[in-house]
Amino acid sequence: MQAVSRRPKISLTEEELIRGLRHREKLAAEALYDMYSASLYGVILRIINDEPSAEDVLQETFIKIWQSFSAYSAEKGRLFTWMVNIARNLAIDKVRSKDFKNQTKNQELENNVTFIDEQRNTVYKPELLGLKDLVQTLKPEQRSILDLVYFKGYTHVEAADELGVPLGTVKTRLRMAIQQLRKQF
Amino acid sequence: MEDIRAYIESGILELYVLGDVSPAEKQQVDDAASKYPEVKAELDAIETAMESYALVQAIEPSEQQRDRVLNSLLVNLGDDRTFTKGRAHSDIDDKIIPMQPRTGINFYKYAFAACLFLLLVSIAALVSIYNRLQQSNELISSLQDQNQRFSSQVNLMDEQISVFRDPSFRFIKLKGTPKTPASAITVAWSPSKKKVMIDMADLKLPENDQQHQYQLWAIVAGKPVDLGLFDAKTKSDTSGMKEMKSVEAPQAFAVTLEPRGGSVNPTMEAMIVMSAI
Repeated sequence: MQAVSRRPKISLTEEELIRGLRHREKLAAEALYDMYSASLYGVILRIINDEPSAEDVLQETFIKIWQSFSAYSAEKGRLFTWMVNIARNLAIDKVRSKDFKNQTKNQELENNVTFIDEQRNTVYKPELLGLKDLVQTLKPEQRSILDLVYFKGYTHVEAADELGVPLGTVKTRLRMAIQQLRKQF
Repeated sequence: MEDIRAYIESGILELYVLGDVSPAEKQQVDDAASKYPEVKAELDAIETAMESYALVQAIEPSEQQRDRVLNSLLVNLGDDRTFTKGRAHSDIDDKIIPMQPRTGINFYKYAFAACLFLLLVSIAALVSIYNRLQQSNELISSLQDQNQRFSSQVNLMDEQISVFRDPSFRFIKLKGTPKTPASAITVAWSPSKKKVMIDMADLKLPENDQQHQYQLWAIVAGKPVDLGLFDAKTKSDTSGMKEMKSVEAPQAFAVTLEPRGGSVNPTMEAMIVMSAI
């Protein structure tokens, strides 16, 4: 469904990519973007739900990855986990920022129709069809806990409060949700 | 081994992957992962699942984003956003303290100092120019004074010269009486103009005191007529010709020393000089 004439994407193994990023190579930066921009943008857009702001956050995310790359170490986990946490934090900060709240209020006043259309488009994006199927397999309580923690930036303590369930239950449900996802892949 | 199983089942590893653990818990998980391969494997599986989850819902950003992002990475010094935003959630570069821009403050500081300096210089210049203006004004007024004195002197001299040139004036020398043989004055009299003047420069009279004044008389038809008062000074008098009261057909002129303010009738004993015409 995307543009037809696309440049060939650069792809490296994770080790090559990490080495390249350490040496601040241009090729590594390009590969980083080609390999991860869509995944990160999906998460960011899911949190922010506003394309221009999500694009800003995507840029900030890559800048931060690039600048603080020395803080990443491969022993502590996968590269993507580190990056997606940066993206999620930036996106959640953005959503909670005063600027963003004012901006979305203004949109409600000025751009009501198109804004709602955009939101609806996001919901019906064909790329998300696979996800919809996937999410269907999660139980509603598993989905809500994953949404709160992964996309709304709640800590599991806050989520327990919000859902009115014990802390242990939140942890269990979260684990079950991720177990369910693991079975799918 | 059972403990490890329970640790894995507790859900802490999921929270670790989602970044929702305290620093102490994080350390604990790191230690466990390096110690127990099962924990490491479990973590890896969770991370892979979340990565796949993200991949499934991946959305391609628009094509121009690629250039925008890569440009900001490779030449990102010009991008303010790289440096200025503080992030509450980040645990990586929270320690960055943004530099305060001070150039504006400095500019105003220097501008203020420059203004103050110019003000002081201006005040100093103003004071010095004011002083010079005062001096000039004083000089002008003193010159004007002098000028006036000169012109009045010239007028006076013109007048005196005109008296000497006027053929209608007669100059009568009044000589001292036997009491005052050294005294003498010159009176100029014009019968046609009926003017009487005393030549103050040619006055030979003893100086009068504060209580007395000289009085000039004319004898008209045998009676003395008052012609006015004058003072005699030993210092050379520059006032030139002094005009007295006019008189018609005098027979003689005389000067007496009278109390200050003059008398109605002359004190004959105090006559100093006299001359008949």
